[in-house]
Amino acid sequence: MTSAMEIYQLLPKTNCKECGESTCMAFDVALLSGTKRFTECPPLMNEDKYSDSKQKLEEILKPLEGAEETGLIIHEELCSGCGNCVVACPVNVANDSHGSGRGLGPTNNKVIFRVVDGKVKAANVKECRRFGKDKILCRACIDPCPTEAIEFV
Amino acid sequence: MTETVTWTCTGCALLCEDIQVSIGDNRIEQVEHACIKGRARILGCNEKAIPTVNGVNAKIDDAIKDAARILMEAKNPLLYGWSNSTNEAQMAGIELARTLGCVIDSTSSFCQGITINEILNGTIPTCTLDEVREKADVMVFWGADPMSSHPRHMSKYSYFPRGELRQRGYEDDRTAISIDVWQSRTAKICKNGFHRIPPGKDIEFMRGLIDALSGRVPKLSFDYDVKRILELAATLKKAEFGVIFAGLGLVYSIKEDIALLSEFMSALNQFCSFSLIPMAGHFNMRGFNHNLHEKTGHIYRVKFDDGGAISGVKYSVIEQIKSGADAVLVVGSDPIASLPVSISRRLKDIPIILIDPCMNLTSQVADVTIPCSTSGIEVGGTAVRMDGKNMDITSLVQGDNMSDEMIIRRIIEEVE
Amino acid sequence: MAVNVGKFIRSPEYDITVVTYRDVFQSFACEEDRNGKECEQLSAVIVLDATEMKHMGVQDGANVKLTSKWGSIVVKAVFSPREEQKGIGFMVNSLWSNALVSDETTDGIPEFKNIKVKIKVSNETIISNKEILSS
Repeated sequence: MTSAMEIYQLLPKTNCKECGESTCMAFDVALLSGTKRFTECPPLMNEDKYSDSKQKLEEILKPLEGAEETGLIIHEELCSGCGNCVVACPVNVANDSHGSGRGLGPTNNKVIFRVVDGKVKAANVKECRRFGKDKILCRACIDPCPTEAIEFV
Repeated sequence: MTETVTWTCTGCALLCEDIQVSIGDNRIEQVEHACIKGRARILGCNEKAIPTVNGVNAKIDDAIKDAARILMEAKNPLLYGWSNSTNEAQMAGIELARTLGCVIDSTSSFCQGITINEILNGTIPTCTLDEVREKADVMVFWGADPMSSHPRHMSKYSYFPRGELRQRGYEDDRTAISIDVWQSRTAKICKNGFHRIPPGKDIEFMRGLIDALSGRVPKLSFDYDVKRILELAATLKKAEFGVIFAGLGLVYSIKEDIALLSEFMSALNQFCSFSLIPMAGHFNMRGFNHNLHEKTGHIYRVKFDDGGAISGVKYSVIEQIKSGADAVLVVGSDPIASLPVSISRRLKDIPIILIDPCMNLTSQVADVTIPCSTSGIEVGGTAVRMDGKNMDITSLVQGDNMSDEMIIRRIIEEVE
Repeated sequence: MAVNVGKFIRSPEYDITVVTYRDVFQSFACEEDRNGKECEQLSAVIVLDATEMKHMGVQDGANVKLTSKWGSIVVKAVFSPREEQKGIGFMVNSLWSNALVSDETTDGIPEFKNIKVKIKVSNETIISNKEILSS
C-alpha cells in the first residue's frame, strides 16, 4: 500500500503553494484522497531536477487513479474471478442473500462485487461499510482474496 | 439481438451452473460469474484444429477413414483422453474400445483415478458439494489448492457461502484446514489452519493423525510440533459434518498406500462424520470413471478381450505407451504436454490420431487430426461433477465441427 | 586450468526436491497460447526460499540448470516471498517440469511431485516447449 511519507519524499518539499495547498504535506494528503493530481504541482512538472521524482510518483500513483471514493482498488490483472469477495462481502450478502449469500453469482444490481468476464468489478461502492456515517475498517473482501487483488488506499 | 442464457461452465469439474452468458449473433458477448478458467474455456483456443492426414490438410471424411484404418491395422491400439468429453462421447469411446477389443484409459489414470475408485467401490465415504455448502463445518484441503485449480470452490461451496446449517457464514461456522508443502493460495485463506509438511510425508502425517485421533501421541520422523497435530485431531473430532478435499498432493503421495486413506476415513468416522471429495480437474474426468465402471466394473485402465474386460497397471496409459500400444487415439487431451517428457518422446514414435477442437502440442506430432466441437460450448450433453453429481451441459453457439461423439460413432461404423 | 576450477567453485551443484503445483494464471496463459511467451515466462520458473538461494549463490531471476536422472532443463530461479522449507524448489506443472519427471512407475502414476534434482547456476538460455520436445 502506498504511504503518505513515501509520496511526500518525492515532492519538492518547498511549500511553494503554487498548487493551491498551503504545504507540500497538504498536497500529499490531497493526492492520496484523490482530490488533487500530481500534475497540479508546477515545479514537479516543469523543473528538470524533479524528473526522477516525477517518474516515480507516476508509477506509485497509477493504481490510485482507478480508486473509488472509498479508496477501493481492484487490480484486475491479479484477479482470478474466484468470487470469494462476492460471497464474503457483507453488503453483497445483505442485499442478495439468496444469490451471493449462498455462493451464487449476484442475482440483482444492489451488490458491490460481481465477476464479469472473469474479473471482479465493483459497483455501489458507497454502500461499503468503510464509507458513510458508521464506517468501520471492514476487511471482508481483502482477507478472502487469494491473490491480493483488492486493496484500499 | 442479444439474449442472456444461464449456462453450466465446463472450465473445470466444479461445473458451475449459474453462469450468465450474453449471446448476440451466434457470438458470446459477455460472461458473468465465471472465473478466469471458465472465461478461458469460453474464449476457446487461438488456433483451431483442422483436419489433417500425415501433416497435410485433408477432408474430414478422409481423416476419419484414415483414423479407422490406423486403428484396425494396429495390433494393440490405445484409446486415451476423455476427460474433456461429455458422457455421451465417453460411452461411444467405450463402445469403440469394445469393438476393437483394445485398451482404453483416461487422464484419471495419473490423476484422481485411485480415489474415485475407492469411492465407487464404497470403501471411502463421500458426499455432494451441495451438502458441503449446506452442512459442512470442517473442511480439510489436503494437498489441494482450489484457489489455483478450481477458483470458485471456496466461494460457491466449501467455505464462504451461507448454508442451511451454516447461517453465520465462514467466520463463525466453518473451519478451513490446509495440509500442504507450502502456503498455497488456499492455505493463506486457512490462516492458522495451515499445516506445512515436507514433500512425500503425507502418509506419515496421516498415520500421526490416526494416532492422535485415538489419543496416542504421534511420532514423526520430521520436525513437527506434536501439540499442533493433537489440536488438529481435536478439531476434526468435533466436526458435525467434515469433508476432506483430496488434491493431487495427497494422491501422488499416497498412491499404493490408498488403503491408508480408507483407514483414516474410518478412524475419523468413529468420532464424527467425515466424507471425502476428490478434486477432479477436467470437467468430466469423473464421468469417464463412472461410465466405464457401469459398463465393466472397472473405472480405468481397461482392456477389452474375448468379450470381457480386465483392468490393471499394465493397461495404464503410461505402461501402454512404454510397451504395448502401436497406435493411440487421443480425445480431448494433450498428452505430449501433460506426460513426462521421457514418456512423450516415446509417444511421438507411435501413430497418433487426435480428436480435439484445438491445435496443441500433440497435434504437432499427430498422424491424423480430426477437429471436433468444444463440449459445453458448441455441443451439449451430460457430465459428472467432481462430487459425482450428474449435470446437464448445454451448448452456447453453433460450431463448424462435428461433436467428438459423432466422430467416434463414424469411426465405429468404419471399423465394424 | 585455474579458470575452470574457479568456474566449478562458482557454480557448485546442490541437491533439492522439486515439487510441482498448479497456477491459475499460468494455465490461463498456456491455454490461450501454448507456444506463447507469457506461457513460457510463467512456466519455466522455479521458486525457492530466498535465504537458501543466497546461500547457494543464486540471485533472484538468475537462470539455473536442473538435472534429474531423466532429463535436464534450464529455468529462471526466483525468491519465494515467504519462508519455505529448505531443499525444496516449487515448479508450476508444465512441459518444463515434465522434462524432469521419471518414466519409471510401479503403479502407472509417474512421480510428478517429489522429484530429486541437482541445481546449479547456469548461463544457458531457457528453451521453448518445441525445443524441449525435439531435444
